[in-house]
Formats: sequence, structure tokens, C-alpha cells
Amino acid sequence: MSGLGWAVKGLIRQRLRTVLAVAGIAISAAMLLDMVMLSGGIEKSFAELLLAKGYQIRLTPKGTLPFDTEATLDGVSSVVKRLRRDTAIASAGAVLGTSLYGRTGDSLVTLIGYGIQPEAQGVYQVQRGSDLTPDDTLGVLLSTPVAGLLGAGVGDTVRLVGRLDPQVAAAAVSRQLVVRGIVRWVYDYRGQPSIGTVLPVMQTLASGSPDDRASLLLVKVRDDAVAPAVAARLREEFPRLEVYSVVDLVRFFKQRLVYFRQLSYILATMSLIVTVLLITTLLTITVNERLGEIATLRAIGIARSTVMRQVLIEGTVLTVVGAALGIVLGLGTARYLDSILTSFPGLPAAFSFFVPRRENLATAAVVLLVTGSLAGLYPAWLAARAPIAATLRSEAT
Amino acid sequence: MQGAAVHALRGVSLEVGSGEYVAIAGPSGSGKSTLLQLIGGIDVPTAGEVEILGTRLDSLSDRELTRLRLTRLGFVFQRFHLLPVLTARENVELPMAEAGVPARERRVRALELLAYVGLEDRAGHRATQLSGGEMQRVAIARALANRPVLLLADEPTGELDAATGAEILSLFRRLNHDGTTLVVITHDEQLASEAGRVIHMLDGRIQDGGESPETAAPLPRRPAVPL
Repeated sequence: MSGLGWAVKGLIRQRLRTVLAVAGIAISAAMLLDMVMLSGGIEKSFAELLLAKGYQIRLTPKGTLPFDTEATLDGVSSVVKRLRRDTAIASAGAVLGTSLYGRTGDSLVTLIGYGIQPEAQGVYQVQRGSDLTPDDTLGVLLSTPVAGLLGAGVGDTVRLVGRLDPQVAAAAVSRQLVVRGIVRWVYDYRGQPSIGTVLPVMQTLASGSPDDRASLLLVKVRDDAVAPAVAARLREEFPRLEVYSVVDLVRFFKQRLVYFRQLSYILATMSLIVTVLLITTLLTITVNERLGEIATLRAIGIARSTVMRQVLIEGTVLTVVGAALGIVLGLGTARYLDSILTSFPGLPAAFSFFVPRRENLATAAVVLLVTGSLAGLYPAWLAARAPIAATLRSEAT
Repeated sequence: MQGAAVHALRGVSLEVGSGEYVAIAGPSGSGKSTLLQLIGGIDVPTAGEVEILGTRLDSLSDRELTRLRLTRLGFVFQRFHLLPVLTARENVELPMAEAGVPARERRVRALELLAYVGLEDRAGHRATQLSGGEMQRVAIARALANRPVLLLADEPTGELDAATGAEILSLFRRLNHDGTTLVVITHDEQLASEAGRVIHMLDGRIQDGGESPETAAPLPRRPAVPL
């Protein structure tokens, strides 16, 4: 009979209590895992999202973050040309974001429009059909939600209307375009009705003429390692622009989410405390119930260390089983919570709050195992210090 | 508030020779269980000394005392105190495992001991599946596991009916006959009368029987298992 077998049998002896304790530990472990995933997952997911198409640097109007305001850059074609001449840069392209309308029958639906340079774009992935070519002024790319709204597919014609603003009495600009492809816009929130055309067409729809403006410039550096250095150089080269590397953007993002992280740390700590209390309480009750048995073991020559070890093994078994169930429960809960949180408007659908990573699982498991095992120390000490003679006397009466 | 000190034993002097079968009898509260616990090194006297095989127990550390109880003494309790989650064989193996006996060797010996106490067919049963008499016989087998020089039993028939108690008495007779030194605490006169020497206690003092016999016990016959 191994110590482990003895411990397992001891736990099975109090089946209901053990099941309830394991359930409690599993819930605490799930919460701990979710909080560990949350605390590090948001920024990792954000960084992955920014690097989805491999563009490490963003240039925006001074004082703004990418797509944070409606501010635009002017003279973008010359900036793009200068960037593309840089030998450290693999590709560079401009993106204009604007709102416009799509005509369906007699009514108009509001859409989000992207003006892109297809030869250097970092904001979409083609799912069906084909991509635009740089000089395709008659083509358009639709997101799946827009395809549904307009009832259009690849090869169909759609009519887009821009500058329809009764407040400024601006004249409407209209274009009839052929759907080249259905795409997934990387930074869209769930259900966002987005369309894309080549940059001059979208500039015309936004302002009435190709005014050489864009919301942001994307830069892909040939070597990831030199991206921060290139960003620093571009900052000096283009002083009237904001230049962000992915590291810069993640840092801004972290600052904005600092309270979120603190909350996750607090909840993770609370779940650990609950786990420790659960295990300590259960084992203390068990030890007190078995004092007679423990005193007998000590009387027949079983060492204090053996008695302590048995109690600690029971604590560890409870923790291991609870943690294993907790990981499954935590992953399921994270997926469910993620689906709720990422459905909030304004959040990219590809963004994830809970990122399951091997290191997260390992961290949660190790922290839980260590604390769970330590939680058995007090009851183990109680068991080892049980007075043999007094306990046997009280057992006999 | 501080209570007055209670002396469970006063002026007790007792010597038990190898191979003896000693019964300590007396009413409840006479100090016989305390005496047994002192002999067994699970309680410490406020004055006086206990010596087993030439070793004074007060000279031993807690670890050494625990080791002595494991390897030189055997205990049988009124309430058996088997581990309910373990089988009869596993209960008997427990002290051997603690003493570091290899798994195969302790398994063989556990089965031999269970056969000796007449429970070879109950080796795989958990303690909770055994009757009172069977549990006590498993407890005796457990007490014999590490070949103790002295077997201490505290009211071993206290929880048993008369017939089952008689079986335990018979087993003790056989154990003593096979060479085991026995000290048995009882208030059962029949059990006491089975012993080679009966010590009567009252109010923490030995009334009679405390003197060591002048003649040594007869040499034991070859036991059924190497006790």
C-alpha cells in the first residue's frame, strides 16, 4: 500500500465531502486560470492582432492613435513614396477610414468604408473571390455582413453613396462598383458592415475628390528586430506625424487597461485564498475526526513525518484533481466569457480577452499545486502533534 | 484556575521477564492503562523510569522512542483501531512498511501472520467488512508484524462478546506458548486468570503480584510463524 493509495482510499471514504471539496477547488482553479489568462491575454491578443498582417509600424496624424479620431493625414502619396524608398522597409500603404452608404432598393444602409492600397494592405484577408488590383477603380470588397445587407455576392454590382450629410448640405457622390471579393476586415467588430475600395475611390466617396488624405499609414519592416529602431528613425523623419511601433501601441493599451489587470490580480488572489481555506478546512476536519486513528498509528510506531506526509498527500491529491477539472472548466468559461466580451461594440471580433497559452496553464497549475499543497501544512502539523496517550484515553471512554 | 495534580500511579515497581504472560487487573481508574502506556513509551512518567531491554525510555528522543515502539513493541487496543480504508493484509503490512521491509517480504509475512491468527481467507477484506473478533485478530497480527519483544494489550476483549473473547484468550495463550512476552490490561478476571502472573492494581498502586517470579518462564516451543 503506497502513501498515495492510502490517501486516495482515505478521500474515497468521505466520498461526498471529497466531491464537494474537489468541486470547490475546481471552481477556484477555473477562476484562477481565467484571471491568469485575462491578466496577460489582453495585451498578447492585442499585439497578435496588430501583427496579423505583419505590419509593425503605424503612422497617424499628430496627437492621435490609429482610428482613435476622424483626423486624417494629407499628402499621403508622397509620404508613402518616401517610405517605400527606405531599404529597411518591405512595404508601406495608406488606409482611409470613412462612413458611407450602400443602396439597397429604395433605401440606404450605413457602411464603414476603407480606402486601401491593395499592394500594401494590412487590414483584411480575402475569403472568397479575388483581391483588388492597385488600379481597380471599379471594384469593391465586401465584408460578410455587408454582403448580407446589400444582398450581393462576388460579381454583383453595388451602388455606394458618400457625402450624404443634410447638416452641411453636401452633394452626394455615388459610385457603382463590382464586387471582387468577400473579405474579413481584421480590426472590425462583430457584424461591422465594412467595404473597401482602392484609396482614390474611397477618397472621392468621402470628400468628393481624390484629395490624397488617409487615416493611417502601415509600414512593414523587413526585420522584426529593427522595427523599434526604424520607428525611432521615422519619428525624426516625419515630425508632424505620430509614429508607433507595436510595442508602443501595446504600452498605450496596457495603460488604458491597468485597472482591468489589477482586478484580475485581485480576483486571482481571492480564488487562491478560497482554495487554501477549502483544503485547510477539509483536512483539519478530517484530521480531527481521525485523531484516534492517528494516535494509534503513532502508538504502533508510525513516525510523525509519515503521518504528516499522508495528510499532505491527501491535500495534494485534492488539489491535483481539483486543478485538472478546474483547467477544463476554466477554458470553457473563458471561451464563453470571451464570446460575451468581444460582442461589445467597438471591439475587434478577432480580439480575445482570455488567451489560453501553455505558460498560462503551467503558471496557474504550479501556483495552485504549491498553495494547495501548502494548505495541508497546518492540518498535517495538527496530525503530527496529536497527543498519543491523551487521545487514546479519550477514545477508550 | 489551576486544578490540583492527580497522580495516576504511585510507587509502582514492576519487572516483566522475557517470555512472561502478565495480566494487570483492576477496576476502572486504578491506573492500569496509564501503566501500560508508560511501559509502551506513549506516555512519560513525571517521576521514575521505564527500562526495556536495558534501554531507559527517558534517554530516548521522540524519534528513537517511535522507532522502539515500531520495532520492539506490539500494541493491541480495546477498539482495534485498524485503518478502515485498508484491507486486513494492508493493515498488517503497515508497521512493516514503516520499518522499511521490502514489499514482497512484508506481503508474505502479513499473509503468514493472518494465517497464524486464523484469517488467511480474510486478507483481502477491508477492516469495515470484518467482525469485532476478526478485527481484533488482525490487530494482533499487526502488533506482531515487526517481531516485537513485548506485546502490550489494553482490554483486548473489552469490545467482544464472551465467545469471541475466548478466541482471543486462546490466541494469547498460543502466542505466549510460542515465545511472545505479553502484558495484558484487563478487568476481566477470566482473561487475567489465563496469565502466568496477575498484578492487581487499586488507586494507582500495585496491590499484589508485582514481584518478579524467581523461576524463568519455560522455553517456548517453535512457533507456527517466526514471531
